[in-house]
Amino acid sequence: MPFLPPNFVSMKRFSTRGLRREIEGLVYVLPYLLLWGTFILWPLGYGFYLSLFDWNPIKGSKFVGFANYVALFKDPRFLNALTNSFKFAAMVVPLVLIVAFLFALILWSWRGSRYLSRFAQAVFFFPYLLTVSVVAITWRWLLDPDFGPITFVFKYLRIPAPTFLSDPFWALPLIALATVWWLSGYRMVVFQAALGDIPQELFEVAVLDGAHINQLLFRVIVPLMKPAILFSLVLTTISGFRTFGQVFMMTEGGPGRATEVLALYLYLNAFEYFRIGRAAAAGVIMLILTLILTLLGVKLLGLKSELY
Amino acid sequence: MSRRKTAIKYWTVFTHIGLLVFSLMWAFPSLWVALTAFKSNEDIFSIPIKFFPARPTFDHFIRLFAKWPFGRWLLNSLFLAMFVTVLSLVVCTLAAYSFARLSWRGRDTLFLIILASMLLPMEVSIIPLYFMAVQFKLFNTIYGAALPLIPLPIGVFLLRQFFLNIPRDLEDAARIDGCSSFGILWRIVIPNSLPVLSAYGIYIFNYAWNEFLWPLICLRDPNKVTLSVGLRLIQGAFELDYGLINAAAFLASLPSLFVFMLLRQRIIRGIALSSGIKG
Repeated sequence: MPFLPPNFVSMKRFSTRGLRREIEGLVYVLPYLLLWGTFILWPLGYGFYLSLFDWNPIKGSKFVGFANYVALFKDPRFLNALTNSFKFAAMVVPLVLIVAFLFALILWSWRGSRYLSRFAQAVFFFPYLLTVSVVAITWRWLLDPDFGPITFVFKYLRIPAPTFLSDPFWALPLIALATVWWLSGYRMVVFQAALGDIPQELFEVAVLDGAHINQLLFRVIVPLMKPAILFSLVLTTISGFRTFGQVFMMTEGGPGRATEVLALYLYLNAFEYFRIGRAAAAGVIMLILTLILTLLGVKLLGLKSELY
Repeated sequence: MSRRKTAIKYWTVFTHIGLLVFSLMWAFPSLWVALTAFKSNEDIFSIPIKFFPARPTFDHFIRLFAKWPFGRWLLNSLFLAMFVTVLSLVVCTLAAYSFARLSWRGRDTLFLIILASMLLPMEVSIIPLYFMAVQFKLFNTIYGAALPLIPLPIGVFLLRQFFLNIPRDLEDAARIDGCSSFGILWRIVIPNSLPVLSAYGIYIFNYAWNEFLWPLICLRDPNKVTLSVGLRLIQGAFELDYGLINAAAFLASLPSLFVFMLLRQRIIRGIALSSGIKG
């Protein structure tokens, strides 16, 4: 190729090397991408597709457009489930965050025996490692209206005990309580990590300047932990919103429908009543609500820098 | 000055009382289950309540193993969690390496999309996953229950974050010596990332071990279910056999307790790492 400009060869070499690099990069990602695409991305589209059909394996499914969504919002049971999910999140999120923050703060400012604080940390954290069935069994037994220890305490103090999980008013808050017991330890560890990152000098300066304990707390600690707190807020809200296992194992949505949350509504419709289209539509609504919650977190609270 | 001193004193008193009260509150539920597992039915249903078993008994455990394939459930859970952990570690490491160290078009966009999928609720996908499992003949198999748990986006995120912080110099030196990109991953990146790899390994093992919803749907044969779903079967079958179900719950939490006692520091550090705040 004598008549070609001299830099042609090098350009060509550059582009094949570039192509090789592109391919190489993709090859590494490919195994993950295949699994991710199949089990995470594809089900989303497929779920939306299913939500547009009146599912019927015998007569054949019929395309109904958005009729399932219309039916959903006319279904008082769905609206009840939606409300319950919001209520549940509204109870769990502040409690988990406050309890976890308190634990983290207590352990962080602990000046006594190190063994004691390590032991306490282990005790607080341990429930997180339990599977949801164990958590549910534990709390059902604790809250047993006849032979449970909590009932016994009520009787001992001569306070009339509610029937706990069979009481429509108390059932959801008590499931929330069990959830707080289960998950606070995890958030505590996250907060402990964030507390550990606060430079010690800041406290020394603040103390030298004569800062009060609540000034230390609200002017130094909380502002510096803001990213961790906000991050936890978003994640706990999402996980509270999608709760399934505890409710399914503790009350199955009862008494009546007092604890039927969104995920349970979805499960029952899909796998008990075989209203696949409607359940898929409920799934899409759940997805959209999660996305809205996340976006609110990212936009309003400025979490972008934390995630990426 | 003295006001601050008294405030500090109050806080110290408060932390002592708080630590004590909260520790007791947090330990009690699990302790109660453990104690109930060894109580005779007489003690379980006694009024007033009995804290310790009067005559400790293994009856409930014997009944549990006679009636339910509890050992099989344990093995199923173990297999599922191991399978998910190993495969997830492999695919996430490869992907994270590419996202952190190789440059190709669309890399960062793809990473952002995967990262965003971290927040998608699994609940939304269960119906499509159910149909897919039936189509792929993975329904009612442990592989069907395991596969959707593998591509956890947080794995890629966490490992990439760590890989980014490994000094470039090491890699450049290896490249000059003629190391391929896989050689760099194998000889430099992985040996330097053992803490984060083990942290993520523990994290995903726990996640797979505890996963409830998808195995509940995918596994129908009582011999094939995982521990978490098996407990549900027991609960559904005997509303009132409290001794047996507490014995089952106690046994089911023993592996967690055991692993936790062995690896407490590592698990906790791993959580701090995977929270996305430290990294």
